[in-house]
Amino acid sequence: MNYAPALLDHLPNAIGVITENGAIEYRNHAFDETFGNDAAQWIKEAARAVAGERGWLHGFFVDNDDLRSTDVEIEGRVYRIDRIMRVNEGEAPAVALSFEDVTREREAEQAKSDFTAQIVHDLRGPLSGIQGTLEFILSADTKLDSMYADLLQEAQRESERMMSLINEILDFSKIRSGNFTVEQEPIRVAGVLKRAVRSLQSVAARDEIFLISAHGRDVPQIIGSVEKLTQAVINLISNSLKFTPQKGLISVGAQIERKNDAPDAIVITVTDSGMGIKPDELQTIFEKYKQSGTKSLRGGGGTGLGLYIVKQIVEAHGGDMSVASVEGVGTSMVLRFPVKRAA
Amino acid sequence: MIGHEVVESSSRRVVEDSLGDLTTRRLEDSININYAPMSANPIVSAKPDWSRLVGDSLKQRGTWRTYAKLFEARRAYPDDLSLRGYIEIVRNTIVREFLAHPKGMQAVPKLSAEFMSNFDRFNLNAQEGYLVSLIDGRLDVQKLLILSPFDPFNTIFILAKLQAENAITVPQ
Repeated sequence: MNYAPALLDHLPNAIGVITENGAIEYRNHAFDETFGNDAAQWIKEAARAVAGERGWLHGFFVDNDDLRSTDVEIEGRVYRIDRIMRVNEGEAPAVALSFEDVTREREAEQAKSDFTAQIVHDLRGPLSGIQGTLEFILSADTKLDSMYADLLQEAQRESERMMSLINEILDFSKIRSGNFTVEQEPIRVAGVLKRAVRSLQSVAARDEIFLISAHGRDVPQIIGSVEKLTQAVINLISNSLKFTPQKGLISVGAQIERKNDAPDAIVITVTDSGMGIKPDELQTIFEKYKQSGTKSLRGGGGTGLGLYIVKQIVEAHGGDMSVASVEGVGTSMVLRFPVKRAA
Repeated sequence: MIGHEVVESSSRRVVEDSLGDLTTRRLEDSININYAPMSANPIVSAKPDWSRLVGDSLKQRGTWRTYAKLFEARRAYPDDLSLRGYIEIVRNTIVREFLAHPKGMQAVPKLSAEFMSNFDRFNLNAQEGYLVSLIDGRLDVQKLLILSPFDPFNTIFILAKLQAENAITVPQ
């Protein structure tokens, strides 16, 4: 006896077998109950190419990953659609898809994310005020007792750390809510690296660390967000500063990868002479909430989101990222971005 | 000059070194890259454990020989992004060691007696030649960085290379 049809009809998720051109070859009861007779219409739309853009159904046919899942809004509800399997038995190739209504979950996530973003935003205002005041006192031509100067510098360091934690949480909430978009503007990579180095030069000098550039001026442009790329490089340098001892060295470089004599990719490296990362931690270092077991030399922990955010930024630019580390010698973060040429 | 070659076999790849002495030695104790046993997919090659290999090589062979071997390994692993990072770590170590000179940026490099009497022996490239032309025994590293057309890191790296090859000395 073939139990499969009965089993499929008892599943709570809507399941349909759909061909590339949008024909429904099979539908279970949940599918009928959820979508009724309107399904044929929106599936046809999902299959159609509009203004050169293929609908979401196309992705399930071209993506070779075993697992493919995507959120799609259908008639005012959000469904998570998972590909269960490919079906090549009929006349046209088809896919078996499972539809789960995740509208409430997504709304809850959005509300949580909005709340976090609002709180973080509200925290940044007063903290900026504290930072500005500390900077003014420390830079003003006042003869501070060395003990008070030390205490104020400590307060300044901690406020910088708090600002960095707040910014990480804000970025993370943007990533989670899907509001993490990358502008498409030409980026002068050399300028970005120079700005990032300059912005942390005083922190490096204070901690007696050499922070130097390792790139020329002739670095090709890439396309993306100047602000986000700068933020990624600053995050990496800040991370290096936490783990590099006095008299250590942090270098920020850019190299050009060529293909057929034309620039094909830019490889940015941020390398330090810090304590390094344990080999077994190298595989998971880019995961969220993951922190190195190595203790920071400058005190305090982080959110464990810094490298995760940098990786999201790099991937949003079509790039990839890797890490190299030798315990007791140093660590290098390697970012590769494609050089897009005008068509 | 530093030289070495990459030898491949079906089951493993060993970076061999022909540095210094006349006998070609296998550096199985430093850069010895073992593949995992052949699996169902022969296209997927095991990634070397660069972290351990580089750490061991730095201890046993020093920075310059490790650098040369890694640079050569890039030909065998052109798509390995982490390998770029390991090269940068070694370059960083070389520059940091140069900056660890007691006088730091105020150290004054001088052309070596050997270079003055036998400069043909030193096969300098254009960048090295240009920096050598700036070294007059009076300019310190700080001033050389200002005069150099190259970025600070690469300027110091070239100075360190010239020092390693005995073209210049940096008196204490």
